[in-house]
Formats: sequence, structure tokens, C-alpha cells
Amino acid sequence: MENNKNSVSVLVIGAGIAGIESSLLLANSGAKVYLVEKASYFGGNIIRWEEVFPNMECATCMIAPKQQELLQNENVELLTLSEVQAVEGSFGDFTVKVRKKARYVNLENCIGCNECFQPCPVEVDNEFEEALSKRKAIYIPCAGALPNAPVIDTDNCLRFKGKDCQLCQEACMFEAIDYAQHDEELELNVGAIVVATGFKPFDLTQTPQYGYRKLNNVYSMVEVERICASNGPTEGQIVLQNGEAPKSAAIVHCVGREEKGYCSAVCCMASIKQAHFLKNKIPELKITQLYSDLCIPGRVYQRFYEEVKGSGVDFIRATVNQVTQQGTGVAIRYKNENGKEDTLNVDMLILAPAIEPAVDSARLAQVLAIPRDEHGFFSEKEPDLDSVDTSREGIFIAGCAQSPKDVPDTVAEAEATVGRILSLSRQGS
Amino acid sequence: MARKIGVYVCECGNNIADNVDIDRVIKAVSPLRDVALVEKYRLLCSEDGKKLLEQSIKDHELTHLVVAACSPKQHEHTFMSVCVAAGLNPYLFQMANIREQCAWVTPDKEEATDKAIRQIAAAIARVAYQESLEKKDIDVSPDVLVIGGGIAGMRAAQVLASPDRKIYLVEKASSLGGKVRAFDKLFTKMESGSALIEHELKKVQEDENVEVFTDSEVEQILGFFGNFEVKVANKAASEERDFSVGAVVLATGFDLMDVKGLTQYGYGKLEDVYTSLEFEEMNVPGGSTDGKILLKNGKSPKSVAIIHCVGREEKGYCSKVCCMYSLKLARMLKARLPEVKVAQLYLDLCVPGKAYQKFFEETKGLGVDFVRTEKTSVTRNGKGITVEYESKSAPKGKLAVDMVIVVPAMEPSRDTSKFAEMLGIPVDNEGFLGQEHQKLAPVASSVEGVFVVGCAQGPKSILESIVQSEAAAGKILSSLVPGRKLELETKTSIISETFCTGCKTCISVCPYSAISFDDFRKISVVNEALCHGCGVCAAACPSGAARVKNFAFTQIYQEVEALLK
Repeated sequence: MENNKNSVSVLVIGAGIAGIESSLLLANSGAKVYLVEKASYFGGNIIRWEEVFPNMECATCMIAPKQQELLQNENVELLTLSEVQAVEGSFGDFTVKVRKKARYVNLENCIGCNECFQPCPVEVDNEFEEALSKRKAIYIPCAGALPNAPVIDTDNCLRFKGKDCQLCQEACMFEAIDYAQHDEELELNVGAIVVATGFKPFDLTQTPQYGYRKLNNVYSMVEVERICASNGPTEGQIVLQNGEAPKSAAIVHCVGREEKGYCSAVCCMASIKQAHFLKNKIPELKITQLYSDLCIPGRVYQRFYEEVKGSGVDFIRATVNQVTQQGTGVAIRYKNENGKEDTLNVDMLILAPAIEPAVDSARLAQVLAIPRDEHGFFSEKEPDLDSVDTSREGIFIAGCAQSPKDVPDTVAEAEATVGRILSLSRQGS
Repeated sequence: MARKIGVYVCECGNNIADNVDIDRVIKAVSPLRDVALVEKYRLLCSEDGKKLLEQSIKDHELTHLVVAACSPKQHEHTFMSVCVAAGLNPYLFQMANIREQCAWVTPDKEEATDKAIRQIAAAIARVAYQESLEKKDIDVSPDVLVIGGGIAGMRAAQVLASPDRKIYLVEKASSLGGKVRAFDKLFTKMESGSALIEHELKKVQEDENVEVFTDSEVEQILGFFGNFEVKVANKAASEERDFSVGAVVLATGFDLMDVKGLTQYGYGKLEDVYTSLEFEEMNVPGGSTDGKILLKNGKSPKSVAIIHCVGREEKGYCSKVCCMYSLKLARMLKARLPEVKVAQLYLDLCVPGKAYQKFFEETKGLGVDFVRTEKTSVTRNGKGITVEYESKSAPKGKLAVDMVIVVPAMEPSRDTSKFAEMLGIPVDNEGFLGQEHQKLAPVASSVEGVFVVGCAQGPKSILESIVQSEAAAGKILSSLVPGRKLELETKTSIISETFCTGCKTCISVCPYSAISFDDFRKISVVNEALCHGCGVCAAACPSGAARVKNFAFTQIYQEVEALLK
């Protein structure tokens, strides 16, 4: 960076909405960007949402143009299946080691025709679909995933378990499948680093009182997103485990809030959104929201809440004590605001989990030598005053890696990292 | 020059070839008008395929190109680049999507083949009428006008300023600092607001690339992204200055709602009922009470009620920061008067994010009471103030207190509408400035080159306002690079001078304020630097004068006719 005032190179870790926004802005300024993503596809959590509040836009359609722009931008090198292993140096001159796992599919040759999936004899749960559907050992996680090329899951592929199977290679018309590919170690030199590793939902089995994974027809909100998704396991049909449509549903807010000790900021709106969506699909569905405090800040969200409430969704301020199986549905015992106990019977129970830092945060904090807070989120340099700077100069954080937040705040932070990086590299050099 | 249209049909491996009889397609489209050659290829997007296309355009001196393959979303860009490499204007190229819109969705091969023939014939008919377009670029100014010298505006100026970029920071008051200066303490660290402002101010003042205008108002902004002409008037000195900038950042902040009209709270009528800002002022050393929290009778209060959400129902939105702000007020009270009883009357606690709940719990731990209420009223008799509260699900109750602090809703500052009008930015029902895209473009306005940060676009915390300022800076630094030209949209609208009747319909529908009226010629004129080529004007124009380049009537007519033939 010191050599050339106008060219910065930046490592962006995590290719969700924040990482994409940072990368595009940096690339458009003329910077070289290495965008590292550990999954085989990019887009992050948002591409699992069918629609986003409050305008009920299709999330995949919303970010697809950004993804296309990124794939076509010559200044961005997207490294999927990759993880940052080591970082040395300082602002302006970091040396980064990245481990890039083999895809076993050649991106130059593959056209994404999916012919290779069909003959694969292996069937395992599709993690992208919250195990609501199966996938093959060579697969793309969902229709529309980008880059539009499959990956071989070596944990399950027969060939990588020592069997003599090459059915996918035989099915490929473009010689795109290459079993001989191997993992690579890349060394990158960058001036700055943006950490945009996002979030994962709280593990609902840690709150056994709700019956998640024990009772039938108790879902996490993420599962319901996939059930609602037109490219999901039910192609958007809202059905219970027995294949029938639910007549009643309850959405419980704030699951894990007490355990985590913070409000996850977006779950009220996400819960209201799911009610909106479900009501749209099944107008006669009776929906009850069980919540403690409504957190619908800003000038737009309350209107959305009022609209949904007006469509016949009930809101009860309650603390849920226990959930039990009642036929195929569940009985929810709760205490209302007056301390009075009551029971609600529904066909479908949806739990809104708290938001936690992404899986890899602890390891990454060590690699980057940046602190995390008591909850495991990356810490900003000056709480209340700087949310994108970290205590290590040249390393910036954006989005839910820093704290739970909604899409606009995430995008603003991503843009702010670009402001900080381009500003420092001009003023400083 | 005679047209020589080349048509290439991609087999896409077996993706198209399996379900479309490509030889029959070639036979059917070969005799069409101006078609010079039709060929098929296994995979046109491959390196070999692209080389073949490039060579073929050169060898056959093709004047137009049609590629029948996948979705233009997938490879339009790829084939346009091939055209450029071969010396063919890329706008003389058209794609027929015979994969996603045909081979993959029409199961019967005969039917799919017929459909593909029509799609390709339509593309051939259209491409013959396409115009070659040239990319244009314009010189731009990297300088930036920042309106509003509060925390958001000051931070934007700091991040943007550099030796090759001058920042003009305009504030209508006599000093920078905005609302934050009046805050005695800030959540969550309970540091002084004025200390923060002094710190930021020092950085702004020390930066020779920032020119500060106080007592000044922006009188006029004309132009477009990259080239705005600005007029600023100094009210104190009766001076005017003109300068040009490439971008504008609006950081005009908020005002508190006037709550005198909400008579149930007694503000403005009852003694010892204060707004949150009045209470802040009371805490600032050197203020009306010299930093002491006092009642009108000169005594310290023994009990205080803080009422949240005042005006929320009337406004129709949650002001986002008032819960945290109210908790902060309780902290300030407890710090000065440890014995004081504090009750928070709230509707819903909105303490989002990783740090705020802890602040709430700590405040609660100081012995602050939290009372949920949906309806609150304040009355006063000789003995003191009574606060009555009720909610649907809980019994009514009342509190006797010495002092009431009402926390009013936030609304856009009074100047916001003036700038909205000056720049053509839409405002929402509440008067806040709208964003280009609510989710994906939170700081850009619908006018390119104009950014809105902080509370001008909705209630926000100091931290969120700062992030937005840095975000606007990121957008500007990324797109307005000193010494670099700005590339304009190629497929813009044009209005025919001959056909325009001067009815101004197009001006009223253009979402980008890209059309102006030429008073001398009495016609509408498109500014290409502002036009996004959305086509709304072309659809609305009653005389057919407005059209979008390469979406002209003839082109679309020819395409549709061939499709239906």
C-alpha cells in the first residue's frame, strides 16, 4: 500500500451480505479484494430467507444482482471453501495464509447443469435445508446457489472412502470433475482486513422446555424459512411433519435470550414477518405470537407490526413454562402478564432463536489477534463510538460478527469499513 | 452498409441439445432476413467457444450478433466482452434464452424446438434495429458538501477529507456540535457528550482539508452526481460562496417532538414536568441550575418518574433510542442523588444488541423501578405530582412523585423538508428522508450522489449515526476517485425535440429527477448523467417523444412481431 497510493488490497472474511457489500465497494474503488468464504457457495445466511421484512422481498432475488456483479468484477477474487489460517504483519502490510479446500469440480469447465448429482448413490441430510431434505455426495446446497457449481463432500463420497466409484465423473459432459484436485495453501499480501463472519442461530436443544427435537411439529424459525422457500424442501408448501397444512401456529420470541443475556434485535421483526408470510399462504391459519417485549425500532417497523396485527395475528405477552405433545400438535403452558397460567394448543410451534457469533469466531479471534466480548462477538475498539474498528489497527468488523443486527445496519457497517479503509489509506500514505 | 447478422446456437452440452432439435432450428432461422451465418457450438461460454465467436465476428465481418443460449443473467456480460474484443459494438448483440426459458421448461422436444425457433427469430428481428451505443464518461469533482455539523456531519467530514479531496461542512448554528453537545452523559459508558463533541471538533478543525461554515445555510444545490453547484450564505456576515462538489451528505439530524399538545402528560402546564433535554440541561455545569437537579421550589426531588414513548402513538413509530436514553437518565439521577426513587414507565423495552440489556440490568440493579403502562396521565395537586398508569392486562396503579421527565419521540429536524425539496429526495409519511433501497442501500438516497446519514433518515443512536457517516464516506470514496472519470449509464432515455409537445408528463413521473424543462424551446430534456434508463418516461409520454435507447418502439415491435409470427 505504501508503494502505490491508489491501490489497496484487502482481505474480506465471510461472503454474506456484509462481505459482499464491502468487497464490491472496495473493488469499485480500484482495490484488489480477496473474499474468503468457508462454504462452497456464497451469500451467507440471507440466501436461506424466503422473504425479508418489511417489504417482503425475496432475499435471494434481492442479492442475486450483487452476487453477479461480484462474480464479474475483475478486482474481486472469491475464494470459496477457504479459511484463514494465519495473519502476520500490521496495517498496510499483512501476510495472510489461507487454506483452500479442493472442490473436486473445475469451475472453468463446470456449467452447473447438475447432471452429476443424479447418478451419485449416496444420500445424506442437506444441512442447508436444516436436514429437511436429502442431498447427494456431490451437490449444490439449493437451486440458485452461486457459484453455480457443485462440490464433492469427501466425508460421504464413496470414492473418498476408498470405493471405486466414478459415476459423477462419467455423467459430466465437460470433464469438470477432477478427483485429483488437492487442497491449497495460499499466501496473500493485503493492507487491511474486514471480518464479516456473521452469525448462527442459538442451539434450541439447550432450552429443553420448548421440546425442540423431542416433540413433533416444533420448528426453529430457520426451518420454517426453508419450508416457506420456493426453492426449499417443500417448494414453499407449508406442511406439518404428516404432510398436512397446519390450522394453528404459535411463534415464541426470545428463545435463548435469558441464556445469552442479550436481546438479539431482529427476532421480533423476523417473527412478525413469518406470521405475515404464513398468513399470506394460509389465510385461515390462526397465529399467536408469545413475546415479552416488542423490539420494533425505527420509523418503518411499527407500521409492519400493526399491519400484521391487523390481519388477525394475536400477540400475547407471556413467559412459556412448558411444551408437551398434544396429539400431533403441542400444548404450550404459559404465564401471562398478570402471572396467570394458561394453555395454548397449536398444530405448529415455531421458536425464534437468539443470534450467536458464527461457529468459527473463537479460532478466528486467535488467528487475527482481536478480542471478543463476553458473548463471543468481536469487540469494537471504542464501544458506543466506533463499531467497525477493532483494537488491532487495520482489522475491521462488520455485521452480526460484531453484534446482532438487521440487514440495513449490517450493510451500513460494511460500507463503513470501506470508508475507514479508504480514508486511512489515503490520509496515511 | 448491408447487415450481416451472425447467429450462434449453444448446445450447452446436452442441456439444450437434449431437448431442442438444433439442426432444425438452424434450418429454420438461416433464411431469415440479413442472416449471414448460423452455427452451433457445444459450449459457447467456454474459452474455445469465446475464441471461435471472436474469430467468426472478424472473419465474416459480422455487423450484428445473436447468441441463443442460456439466460442473459448468466452470460450476457461474457458475450458482450467477446463483441468488444472482436471490434463489434456490444449493443449490436442480442441473446435468446433457449435454456431457462425453453429447453428446461418445455418438456416436449417438438414444442421446445418450435419455441426456440421463435425466440431466435425474435432476437434476429430485434438486433437488426438495435443502435450502436458508446459508453460516455464525465469529469467529476471529488469534493463533498456535508450539511449539518452535528456528530454525524463532523464524522463524515473527517473520514472523507484528504489532501486530494476538500470537504465543505455547513452548519446553520453558530458552532458545530449539534444535539450531542447538550447531553450531559451518553449511554452506555456515561461519558460526557460535550467532551465527545470537543474531541471530534478538534479533529475537524485541525484538518486543513475541511472548510467549516457556521451561521450558514445552503441556499441552492444544482447539478448531478460528480458535478453539483452549491451556494452557501453566511447569515451572520451576509456573505455568499459558490463552489462545486461531486457528492452531498445530508446530516441534518432530528428535533424532539413538541409534547405540549399531549395534555395528559401535563408538560408546559404543571410544575416540575420536564422534557428529557431540559433535564439534561439541568445537569450541565453552568446551566440554569448550575448542574444541580432541583425542583422549582429549590429542593432536590425525592422521587422521579421517567415516562417513555411520549408521542409514539401519535407518530406511529418507535424512536428506537429512548429506552436506552431513559435508562441513562435514571443513572444520572442515581449518580447525583443516590437516595432518589426512580420509576420508569415504559411500554416495551427496546434494548437491542449485545450490550444494551446489560445496561438495563445494571440500572435495574440500582433500585430503579420498571412499570409497564399503555396509558399514562400526570396530574398535580398541592402535595405533588400523581402519575396514573394502566394497561389492558394489569390493574391500574398510581405513583406519587416530585418530578416527571417525559421522553418525547424524535422527528426530522425542521430543515429536512427544505433539503428534500431542493434535491428532489422523497420523504416518508413521517418526514424522514427516504433511502435508495431500504435494505441494501441504507445511506444512499434515490438521487445519485446524495447521501443521507444519521437521524435525518430515522431515529438512531450516536453509534449508528457515526456508522452511517462512515458508510456514506465508503460509498463516496469508492465511486468518486480523484482523477478518475465517472462512467454514465449507456441505455438512457432521449426525448425527441420534434415530437415533444412540452406537456411535462415525463418530468412528473421521473423517479431520478433526470428530466428538466427547456423554457426557451418549450420541450423536456433528459440529463444523461442522472438518467438510469428505467423507461418510465417512455411509457408515460403521450406523444411518443420519449424513448429509452435500445428499447425503442421499433425494436420491441419487431421482436414481438417475429415472436408471434
